[in-house]
Amino acid sequence: MKHLKSFNKKAKMLDQATSQNEVEEVVAMQSIVGCTSVNDPGWEVDPFGGLGSLCQPMESDLYGCADACWWPAQVPDTMVNHTAFGDTAPKANEDWRKIDSVFPEE
Amino acid sequence: MNNNKTTRALLGTGALALAGLVTLPAQAADAERIIRDRCLSCHTETGEAATPFSRISEQRKTPEGWMMTISRMQQQRGLVISPEEKRAVVKYLADNQGLAPSETAGLRYLLEKEPNVVESFDQLLQETCVRCHSGARIALQRRTEDEWKNLIHFHMGQFPTAELHAGARDRAWFDIALTNVAPKLAKDYPFNSDAWNSWQKVIKKDLTGGWAMHGYVPGKGTFDASLHATKTANDTYALVLEGHYADGTPLAGKGRAVVYAGYEWRASLTIDGVKVRQVLAASADGNSLEGRMFERDDEIIGGSVKAVKGTAITAVTPSYIKRGERKLLTISGNNLKGNVKLGSGLKLLNVVSRDANRVVVLAEASKNAAVGSNTVKVGSVSAQGALAVYDTVARVEITPSDSIARIGGAGGPIPKQKSAYRAVGYAAGADGKPGTEDDLRLGYMPAAWTLKPFDEIAEHDNDIKYAGTIDKDGIFTPGDAGLNPERKMSTNNVGNLSVVGTVVDGGNSVQGEAHLLVTVQKFVKPVIE
Repeated sequence: MKHLKSFNKKAKMLDQATSQNEVEEVVAMQSIVGCTSVNDPGWEVDPFGGLGSLCQPMESDLYGCADACWWPAQVPDTMVNHTAFGDTAPKANEDWRKIDSVFPEE
Repeated sequence: MNNNKTTRALLGTGALALAGLVTLPAQAADAERIIRDRCLSCHTETGEAATPFSRISEQRKTPEGWMMTISRMQQQRGLVISPEEKRAVVKYLADNQGLAPSETAGLRYLLEKEPNVVESFDQLLQETCVRCHSGARIALQRRTEDEWKNLIHFHMGQFPTAELHAGARDRAWFDIALTNVAPKLAKDYPFNSDAWNSWQKVIKKDLTGGWAMHGYVPGKGTFDASLHATKTANDTYALVLEGHYADGTPLAGKGRAVVYAGYEWRASLTIDGVKVRQVLAASADGNSLEGRMFERDDEIIGGSVKAVKGTAITAVTPSYIKRGERKLLTISGNNLKGNVKLGSGLKLLNVVSRDANRVVVLAEASKNAAVGSNTVKVGSVSAQGALAVYDTVARVEITPSDSIARIGGAGGPIPKQKSAYRAVGYAAGADGKPGTEDDLRLGYMPAAWTLKPFDEIAEHDNDIKYAGTIDKDGIFTPGDAGLNPERKMSTNNVGNLSVVGTVVDGGNSVQGEAHLLVTVQKFVKPVIE
């Protein structure tokens, strides 16, 4: 990366995350049980072990994650498994209080 | 909301379990009948005695694993099954196609819902499977190679974009999973194993009787209690728990337990009005139960518990004494009779109180006592390394060192997911340098708790103001769910924080830090992660 200058915020962060300690930190946070390590850009944690590169507020892109089955263990996918997820709250930004998690039946 | 109903379902409160007089073969026959009635519209009978039902008979799972499978069949495949029938089938399958104790070793954190566990599976599994869900979810199953392959095909049908995710689209994910991962899983987690074959032959111990239990509850501290188990049906026990926390506050509760596969203890109790769960493993000799107890509606609020039936010491609290110091020590256990011995350099000044489960002594460490771990004895029983004698607290480690919490509440249906911390003190050891291999672990120490921004970005975004608060007991409560118009782009109340624990040792303050990422909700609540 010596000959290229990082262009955007994300690239700058990647550029800066060069020490082994930082890399290990990122790996640790993404390996916590319950979190995904699919990091484009990440659900809980971004590729740099922080929050700066996540889509936030989360509600703005919630259904963009659901219909692409992008984090199937974090966001119910409307592609196959939970087709009705979010039906009660078409505008997540406004109706987020109506959005429940999915959980197994008794 | 949460999946409380599902965990309740593992506790066998249905008609079958309550019948009491139902014999083991009758239960099995009943479960097989239910499988025939409910599952054979899709599955088939193979005609093979060893593997009578297609697919079902070529897998072994934990009770939670079977519960999850049947729940998915209900949600995705139109299975209609009553809660009672479901419990009976889970019990039958977990008993007859379960895992041996040794096959769950090192992976029990998933069943115990231990928060903030950092997993480390090999790279192949990490890249193909563990990027979405825990590795333990896989490692707590056993399948034939064909069944592992079926699982991969299932993922392609069920989660079609799995091969397009980051970490998958840059390689032939499906081919790798099918040709490399499935055979590896069949080798590492085989359907047929000596461990399971041997465990099935072991005559399982009855867990009836009086147990001495020691444990920890965040916000309340350590506790000692007697747990009385009365058998009410096959593998089912009525429970009465009575005891007190270290500060003298009493605790009392009642509940019931169901034991799967001869050792997987799943109990539901109400303790002082709060619903709690126990996920414990019974030892093969039937003399100890170990695992985790946690609140049903707030799984973070829980801790390790150990119960013993024979003569044994479960804990010495606190587990450290400073040279030249006088201290009250509590020795907890069962059938504690006889003289107390604390080891060299320690003088027992007085036995303050004692009964069979608890001996409180006033001890004094001499000024030149050797720094190291002492074995504590009461009569004929001993607890090796249970009491550390130290000179100075050289460093403090905060556990968990890497952690997350999730925003929630604020009128929405998903509760906040907290995180809870403890401070572990260490002496420097013989080399006098903290952070080296010979450091002496002293145990959990009282600490004062604060938060600070983890990095410059967190400071700039003022995460500390929005992401949540930590209380005097080290319990962090995250901020409210929803958009926050006060924040840049109306972002959520997330934050990147450091949790700082400060231990006072003599005139010195020693600090340790942990990383806490306060992040967004999870909208999928599985039986196990």
